[in-house]
Amino acid sequence: MKLTTTFTAALFGLSALSLAAPAMADQLADVQEAGKIVTATDMHYAPFDMIVDGEYQGMTKDLFDGVTAELGVTPVYQDIPWTAELPGLEVGKFDIVIAPVTITPERLERYTFTLPIADATVSLIKPAGSDLVKPEDIAGKTVGVQQGTAQFKQLQTFGDSLGGITIKEYGTNDEAFADLGAGRLDAVAASMPNATTLVKARPEQFALFEPAQFGEPTYFGWVLRPGEDSASLAAAINDALLKMTDDGRVKEIQEKWLGAYTELPREVPGS
Amino acid sequence: MDVSIFAEYGPRLLSGFGLTILCWLLGTVLGAALGLLIAVAQRYGGRSVRWVLQTYIEVIRGTPFLVQLFLLYYGGPMIGLRLDPLPAGLLGLTIYGSPYFAEIFRSAFRAVPLGLIEAGRAIGMPELAIVRRILLPVGLVSALPALVNFSIILTKETVILSIITVPELMYQTQYMATMTFTYLEGYLALALFFWGFVEVISRLGRRLERRITRHLIERS
Amino acid sequence: MFSLSTFLDAFWPLTLAARYTLLVSGLGIALGLVIGAFVCVLALSKSRAARTVAALWVSYLRGVPMLVQLLVVFFLLPVIGINVPAIVAAVVTTAIVASAYISEIWRGAILALPRGQTEAAIAIGMRPRDTWTRIILPQAVALSIPQLINELILLVKASSLVSVVGVMEITRASQAQAGVTFRPLEAYLAAACLYLVINLCLAALGRWLEHRMAV
Repeated sequence: MKLTTTFTAALFGLSALSLAAPAMADQLADVQEAGKIVTATDMHYAPFDMIVDGEYQGMTKDLFDGVTAELGVTPVYQDIPWTAELPGLEVGKFDIVIAPVTITPERLERYTFTLPIADATVSLIKPAGSDLVKPEDIAGKTVGVQQGTAQFKQLQTFGDSLGGITIKEYGTNDEAFADLGAGRLDAVAASMPNATTLVKARPEQFALFEPAQFGEPTYFGWVLRPGEDSASLAAAINDALLKMTDDGRVKEIQEKWLGAYTELPREVPGS
Repeated sequence: MDVSIFAEYGPRLLSGFGLTILCWLLGTVLGAALGLLIAVAQRYGGRSVRWVLQTYIEVIRGTPFLVQLFLLYYGGPMIGLRLDPLPAGLLGLTIYGSPYFAEIFRSAFRAVPLGLIEAGRAIGMPELAIVRRILLPVGLVSALPALVNFSIILTKETVILSIITVPELMYQTQYMATMTFTYLEGYLALALFFWGFVEVISRLGRRLERRITRHLIERS
Repeated sequence: MFSLSTFLDAFWPLTLAARYTLLVSGLGIALGLVIGAFVCVLALSKSRAARTVAALWVSYLRGVPMLVQLLVVFFLLPVIGINVPAIVAAVVTTAIVASAYISEIWRGAILALPRGQTEAAIAIGMRPRDTWTRIILPQAVALSIPQLINELILLVKASSLVSVVGVMEITRASQAQAGVTFRPLEAYLAAACLYLVINLCLAALGRWLEHRMAV
């Protein structure tokens, strides 16, 4: 880990200045002293993050507004494409990535996650009018998925259990959905909230499988840098999330954006 | 740095680099060929042909490659044009490059001394022979630096093929990055690959230039 | 299939985003002209070291994709304690990338001037400074106008990359639009139209300038 961080500094021509020894020790104190927390999210992932009439809105924003009110700091929202989010977090460009990131064992080794903020279980979408009905029907078919995601790994495992499927990987879900619309794919695997929103927005073109979900239940969380520095901030955010769960604010926000409430684990799964 | 990552993903990166070179090479050759056709048609075509070609040039040059490729690949099936990623990528590169190549050829043709062409006509050469034996050989010499320059610009446009899932270098680098979280290492590798690639092309270009202009340098 | 209303609705947000496209490419080329002139001086200098610096500058900036360079500028500066806003990182990167191409354009234009003119200036006793400001530069600038406009058009299109550091320009805005409507084709087509309008205006400006400054 340390080697990687040092390499990161060296990569940008700064081998002398090691990132491994940052000056701050307590990110919560730093954030509270500054009075603001700098975030990054990819603002085109409905219903979590989107821009409507030039305004940032979505489930992530409502949740994070609540959390920052509890922490007594002002959130600074930035639209950063997914590919630049984790590298930017690693070099300290932002305090936290609030794009919904699926919590996986591999990622837990590399980053600190907050408590789950939503259900990320993988769902299958098909073109409206397709003959396929249940998830098992994708055996031998071509299925699209976003590259390197937790959904990709689940799809791979599920496909193997069916005796093989052809998986096509895309940079973002946008392209996978576009290719499903263009007729090159039989199905697309995406997280449940994103899939539901897509089908609601374009019912004439897309439909969900029945049942839509397969595989293990997984969850979205927010991402902080690993290590001691972020421990205080992660704990404070988790406390705020639990408080909001207990007083019904999380339920309200989920119903507003997802149309239903799913109770979420009260600890980070797999940690 | 975790070297084992490059051991594991090295073959993928190499195959990506190979495909990047292939796409660049075919895209450049086909784009230049189409550009040459356009330049010749502009020279000899009628008014309406010239107007259509000029519109084509303005539209293609005026829009980003990313947008063109997205519309071609994902929008094509709407009008019955359903291509696989690689053919779509090559067609996209060819179309994107052609107006720039056409402009390079057009100005190179204009730089050919009129006297040469008139001399050709005077001795009864047909127009096709004038193109083949006067315009092209003389024009290509003066167009070479611009051709090399634009082909260098095209190397970097190939990374955009990743959005239509052509498994070239950018696609493979992103694959490695998202699987292993080695984003910064991945981008560094990408930067080095391209820097080296472009250096090689420009060196070859300069050598070629020296070779074909040898006859123009006075022997002392 | 194709939704005309989604296509038309996309225009207003994209037009707002076009301000950033114009800001980044406009400031980028303005700064790029200054840095490019400086690099060009180095490249034409008699000092071998200066020429090497210029050659490395041009080779690195032309060789490495702009996307990667943006990430370097954006992620490097905070490490040494300079936390520049995204828009500054975008303009600075665009400017230094442009400087590499512009210095080459100017070097080419200066070298293309007939040597006889400089020799004539020296022969009639003109000082070197006057030779540059009265003979070489005015002609070189006029000669380079078409290529500089071309470079600006390329920059307008390349500015779509600055979305990676969080600048909401045309391409990013069309992605955001598609994220809400789930209709990417309509949004991208609208983006294509806007880029085309901007670049047709620039091309027209270029022809007008070329005509006016014709030597």
